[in-house]
Parts: sequence; structure tokens; C-alpha cells
Amino acid sequence: MDPTLLTVAEASRQIAEGRLSPIALTEAYLDRIDALDGELHSYVLVLHDAARVAARELAANRSRGVLHGIPIGLKDIYKTRGIRTTAGSPRYLDHIPEEDAQSWAKLRDAGAILLGKQETHEFAIGGPDFTLPFPPARNPWNTAHYPAGSSSGSAVAVAAGLCGAAMGSDTGGSIRGPAAYNGIVGLKPTYGRVSRRGVFPLCYTLDHCGPLTRTIEDCAIMMQALAGYDPHDPASADAPVPDYRAALTKRLDGTRIGVIRHFHERDAVADFGDDSAPSAAYIAAFDNACRVLENLGARLVDLQLSPLIDYVDANRLIMLAEAFALHETDFRERPHLFGHHMFARIALGAFLSAADYVEAVRQRRELCLEFAGALENVDIAISANATAPAPRIESVSTYSTFERASYTGPYNLTGSPALSAPIGFENGLPLAFQITGKPFDEAGVMRIGYAFEQATEFHRQRPPIAASLPQHQ
Amino acid sequence: MMPDEPISRERFAVLVERAGLKLTTEQFEELRQGYRLVERMARTVRRPRDRAAEPAHIFAQPTE
Repeated sequence: MDPTLLTVAEASRQIAEGRLSPIALTEAYLDRIDALDGELHSYVLVLHDAARVAARELAANRSRGVLHGIPIGLKDIYKTRGIRTTAGSPRYLDHIPEEDAQSWAKLRDAGAILLGKQETHEFAIGGPDFTLPFPPARNPWNTAHYPAGSSSGSAVAVAAGLCGAAMGSDTGGSIRGPAAYNGIVGLKPTYGRVSRRGVFPLCYTLDHCGPLTRTIEDCAIMMQALAGYDPHDPASADAPVPDYRAALTKRLDGTRIGVIRHFHERDAVADFGDDSAPSAAYIAAFDNACRVLENLGARLVDLQLSPLIDYVDANRLIMLAEAFALHETDFRERPHLFGHHMFARIALGAFLSAADYVEAVRQRRELCLEFAGALENVDIAISANATAPAPRIESVSTYSTFERASYTGPYNLTGSPALSAPIGFENGLPLAFQITGKPFDEAGVMRIGYAFEQATEFHRQRPPIAASLPQHQ
Repeated sequence: MMPDEPISRERFAVLVERAGLKLTTEQFEELRQGYRLVERMARTVRRPRDRAAEPAHIFAQPTE
């Protein structure tokens, strides 16, 4: 049987029981990468030899836990000591870090095997950009279509079975957008839950690190290794880490779920225009998701917040200001080292005033308080993710992501945990929604996601390209 | 919604000069069009607020 078809949880059990070797699992993933990634471009660097060495070492030693022998990938903004880390940019084409990202170090210490570095939009913002040294990753459900970004390679690799799980980053939706378009699970944890140390920053106050996986249980497994205090990350929170897998249940009796409908039913068109209108199939899929949750015993109530644009524009303005400040010197002195989209997007931050930024940060406090108040009488909230399937990749223009409604940015602004999970398909391409909650309630968010996942079949559907290679059938 | 008309070339040139950016003709024109997004974002966040409305990055000193 093809071991790459196993979830992380399934592979972990088989490794623990001696029925599957980390060596065989790693070789199977490397075979798939060699066979398929020429078309998908999800990796920018594949570590064949290092992965095999790690697999042999882990196979010969005592188990370190649930992630022992599990092959994963890292978005190429996660620094890896001695291993090239480019941030997807010509600016760092030959950069070899001297440190490991803290979250990678934790996964490695838990027994994960690094298969390689995965394609990213340039500095987690500039893509899909065909002027860059690395071709943009392609959607495995239809390679003519966009996999979203900026954690594009990581999401594609997970969906196509080119790694067991992957790490992405999320400043305005860069884990959850790719998760949605690729039909997988993506979690942006609470701000401060997972260390940002050793990850190229885009925006200090909005950046989050988190996992991309095929299932909620796999997400819980990854989070168990990732969550925790890092005294060297100024944003890191010293908050208790619960048992995430123990919180997963199949019923939601008594759970109160707030539904933020107006974001997609009203605000998208009112604030951003007709191009942001949700598709009829998406509206039906979201409504069906609500019915599934009710059938699981949850009680749904509508929540009312400020208009979507209040959250989205505050998020984007803060991002542009901080990102431009990070890259200002390079933009002035060596602009030729950046790709087209990166430069065109982040340079907009040059035209913001300090007062613009302060007003956005004042609005941030107001909206954080509003959101916390809205969640007081519910356990969890749900809202839309991308409200139409992935577009064709060549249709993604320089500013299209800024012009249209975004449903993910609000939870970067509030720092809330937010998870994307599949809810259906349109024209053969995945659709998703978001589950969000109170600070540090990743367990509650994943509990809702798990119950929904187990009551539906969406997580079992894989893109055709994820089928077994002939040699493993 | 975004402004109907982009900022004039003359006014935008002043902003570009102040930002210290050296742009090609194509970059200048693309950013001039994109500046409408900046105008929209700024308009969204600039609203009357009580002076007591503090920004989210206010921090408290640790007491231990």
C-alpha cells in the first residue's frame, strides 16, 4: 500500500507498531516529489540525502513521539541552519542561515523529517510572480489554477501527497487561503501561540506561523509539538498548552456557534463591489455547513460585527506600513533584486503617513474589543473563507487580492485562532469556511472542525494527481 | 469603494520623491493606479475618535 496515502496520524500509528519504517515513508514521498513536482512546483529545494539520513537515524532510535519519522515540508521563509533559505526572492537567492526557525527545531526534535523547502510568494506577499527564479506552485486540483498564497508550495505539497504536513505563515490569510483553494486544513493559531523566531517577517504585528495538514487530527498533532512559550520571541505567550487531540469529539451538543454571515452575504459586495460577490455554489455550501453543525447538536446564532472592510483595510494598511519599513532600504538601494509583485505591492506602504498607521492601530484596538465582545456569549464563531473557487493563475493581477474582499484578514487583526476547513466543491475546485474562537482556544476551534470533518466526506477527497504512483499500487 | 480617478501624476511624483524611490515609467504608473487602494484604506481607518481611544500597540511594563 502507498504509505503517502496515510494521514500523519495513520502513519504515526503504523510506525509506532513497527508496520511502517520512516525510511520507506520518506522514500515514498521522495518518489512522489520526483515524479510529480516538475508539474506542481511545490518545492524549491528537495533534501533527498539529508531526508534519507534523518530517516535512517530515526528508524534506528527510540520513538520521540507521535511525529517520529513523519516527513514534512517548510515554507521557504523558515530558516534552516546550513540549508538555503531564499524567502522566494532573488535578494536571498544564496542565503544560508546560521540558525533554525524555532518552530522547525521543535518539529525536528519531535522526530519530523524535513523533505525540503517549499515555494512561497516572495517575502510572503509577492506572487504568483513569473519573473522570480522559482516558478509559482500550481493547484493540484487543476494546474491551470492558482493555489493561493503565500504558503502556496506548502499547501500544494500537502494536498498532492508530497509531504505528510507542512508549515506556512499567515499575515492576512496566507495559510488559510491556500488551505481553502487546495482542499486541506490550515490553522493560523492565536498570535503568540507558535514562535515566529527564525521566520522571515512580513509584518511583525500580524505574522503568524502555523500548520497545513490533510485532516484536523493531523493539525492537532502538529500543534502539540509547535505550541509553547519562546522567551526569544517578543510576541510569544506563556500560556498553558492543552492536549489538542483529546479535545476532538464527533458531537457538538450544547456548543454555541456564532455565524458571521454579513461578511459574505452583504459586506463583500457593498464594500468591495460586484467582483467580490460570493458564488451561488459557495452560499449553498456555507449554508449546508451550518446545517451540518446544527445536526451535530450545535446551536447557531448570527453575530453582528463592524463591516468587513473595517477589519480588512486596517489589516492591510498595517501590513503595508510595517512591510515597507522592513524593506525600505533595499527598495531604495537595490530594487532590481525584487520581483514585480513584491515591489508593486509593498511599495504602496511608502505612501502611508505615520498618522495613517496610528489610526489603523487605533481601529485595531476597537475591533479587537468588538470581536471579543461578540464572542462572549458563544463558544466559537464561523465565517466564510474565499467565496469562489480558485481562479486561473494568470488572472491573478498585481492588486487583485487588495481590490477584492478578504475574509481571512480580520483574524490576523484580532490575533484570534482561525482554521480553514473544506466544505465542498465548485467546478471540481475546493471551497472552505473558517472557524475562529477566543484567544488560545485552538482546541475549541479544532474540536468544531473535527466534528464537521467527520460528519462530511470532503477531507477524503484528493486531487487526481494525489493517486498512488504505479510502483506503490 | 475606491476613488474613481487616480491621483494626478504631479501630486504622485511628490509622494515618490518624498519616499526616496527611483521608479521606472511603468512602475510609476502602476503604483499611481495602486495608490487608490492606499487612499481607500486610509479613508476606512481615519474617522473621528475620542482622544482616549488608544492604539493597540500600547504596552504595559512587566511587574515581575
